[in-house]
Amino acid sequence: MKNNFDQYTAISDQNSPTEEGTDFEVSISGLTKCFGDILAVNHMSLDVPAGCIFGLLGPNGAGKSTTIRLLCTLLTPTEGTALVGGYDIIESPVSVREITGVLPEEGNHTLYQTMSVYENLEYFARLYGVAEGEIPQRIEELLSFMSLWERKDDRAGELSTGNRQRLALCRALLHRPRVLLLDEPTSALDPVAAKRVRELILRLAREYNQTFFINSHNLPEVQRMCDRIAIINDGNILMTGTTAELRAKLHAKQIFRLRTSEDVARVSSIVESMAFIEYVRSDVDSLILTIENPQENNSILLQTLLSQNIKIIELAEEETTLEDLYLEVIKGGVDK
Amino acid sequence: MTLRKSMIVARADLRMALQVSYVKYGLIGMSALGPIMILVIVSFVAFGTTSAVEALALLSLLSPTISPVLGVISIIPASLIAANALVGEKEQNTIEALLCTPLTDSELLIGKVLSSFIPSMALLLGTIAVTEVGSIVIFLSAGLPFSVNFLVPDVAGLFLLLSAGPTMILAISSVMILISGRVARVYEAYQVSGVSIMVFILPIIVPLLVMQSGGIPDANLVWLSDIATLLIASVLMTITWILAIGRFNRDRLVSLV
Repeated sequence: MKNNFDQYTAISDQNSPTEEGTDFEVSISGLTKCFGDILAVNHMSLDVPAGCIFGLLGPNGAGKSTTIRLLCTLLTPTEGTALVGGYDIIESPVSVREITGVLPEEGNHTLYQTMSVYENLEYFARLYGVAEGEIPQRIEELLSFMSLWERKDDRAGELSTGNRQRLALCRALLHRPRVLLLDEPTSALDPVAAKRVRELILRLAREYNQTFFINSHNLPEVQRMCDRIAIINDGNILMTGTTAELRAKLHAKQIFRLRTSEDVARVSSIVESMAFIEYVRSDVDSLILTIENPQENNSILLQTLLSQNIKIIELAEEETTLEDLYLEVIKGGVDK
Repeated sequence: MTLRKSMIVARADLRMALQVSYVKYGLIGMSALGPIMILVIVSFVAFGTTSAVEALALLSLLSPTISPVLGVISIIPASLIAANALVGEKEQNTIEALLCTPLTDSELLIGKVLSSFIPSMALLLGTIAVTEVGSIVIFLSAGLPFSVNFLVPDVAGLFLLLSAGPTMILAISSVMILISGRVARVYEAYQVSGVSIMVFILPIIVPLLVMQSGGIPDANLVWLSDIATLLIASVLMTITWILAIGRFNRDRLVSLV
């Protein structure tokens, strides 16, 4: 059984139509999509460098899936455009589709249920123009990697949800695309399979310079895997950058953990009334706070709590997680 | 645009359709109706007449009705298969994956047309062959001499079936694919296909109308009506294909998912 990608070569190594001087594999400018009166994506602009794993985060209905559907030319923008691998999604949709691999939303439902695992991949390999002689080797390589080779003759409809998701991922990777547009790639996967997929994505990006544009709700996963992140809500990009850059944008509003001897709810009601505290959430026996100008305001906070006879056990700065950033940005606590 | 990619789509669709036994045997059964019906009539002509002259006279009266019957039966499978073409992909949730491949609109639509054209043509040719061979065997069994005049369908009918037949199959496939891309459910497409068949059989039954208005048909009139059918079918095919390709809308297909 083959289980390696030694022969793997992304299209990007073979052919690079991206204009000289532009290192962005995905470049979105003013992209807008309306469905009637509903503005799904609102003048989105962002750039994704080659070999980057880019994460698009946002709540349900934020416009994440519409963005991917626009980038893979399933939908036509109402305004603006995007370049994928240097190809314009409006002017050269076929070229865009040739160099992109797509895992649609609920990818595990997008397979031909009556075709076998092998036939599903064989069909798409031919549609993507993979050379006839290479098809068996590529299918074996991917199915082996995803631990599906033993199931190659089973109908796709007979597979578990997780296995169908793996098969859908195999389909997206089959033609070795330069850009992968993945909508919730690890949803429906068990932790072990999800870890394998994350490792695969990291490997393909680092070793083969493939670019990933990933929609996800899984914040720890995005934090672990993505080089750059954008947070989207109501079709608007609220914030974009590396995790470190996003943290830096929150610098003026550092996050602290406050642990006291008192009931968390009582302390919460006191601190929420303070003007310089913008964001409060409880975490087991403590409160997570965003404090503006902590050098000045921490002493005021402490004095206020002491005056209420609240015994403070700890007030320490917290490592900002992506979840904190995300929740705060979605609540509108940070400027773009 | 390459026909190779269209053929990939057509082959996959055909393989999937033929995996379902009731589709496979349903199509064969439906197409068998025409030859069975005609061979029963031929048997009456062969064994119910007393001489070759009498049999030929009766046959010349019936001939203009035979090819339209086979033609009508041949467009029904085409309309049913094509009705499922795009809306079937939508119902299976495979449409997005398919539209993400580098297929152009034309390649995809030609593939879908071929997936209904190929089996429909196979069934049409099969029914013609079975009817011709069957009727020759029946006439010979009845002691009648083998002659071109005893061909069922006759030469004019063969011309109609082999020229207007494929053209009408392409026309109805195109219109059904257009409809298939604009409805949300397969059953809606089947309902519309029923109505479409009623409209598309009209050109094919033109020769039949000629015969009824003139009693014993004039051979020239039969040929003229066959050519008229071919012309109408060609115009219909051109219009429906232009409509199918012009009205194909990926946004709409995806939005209906």
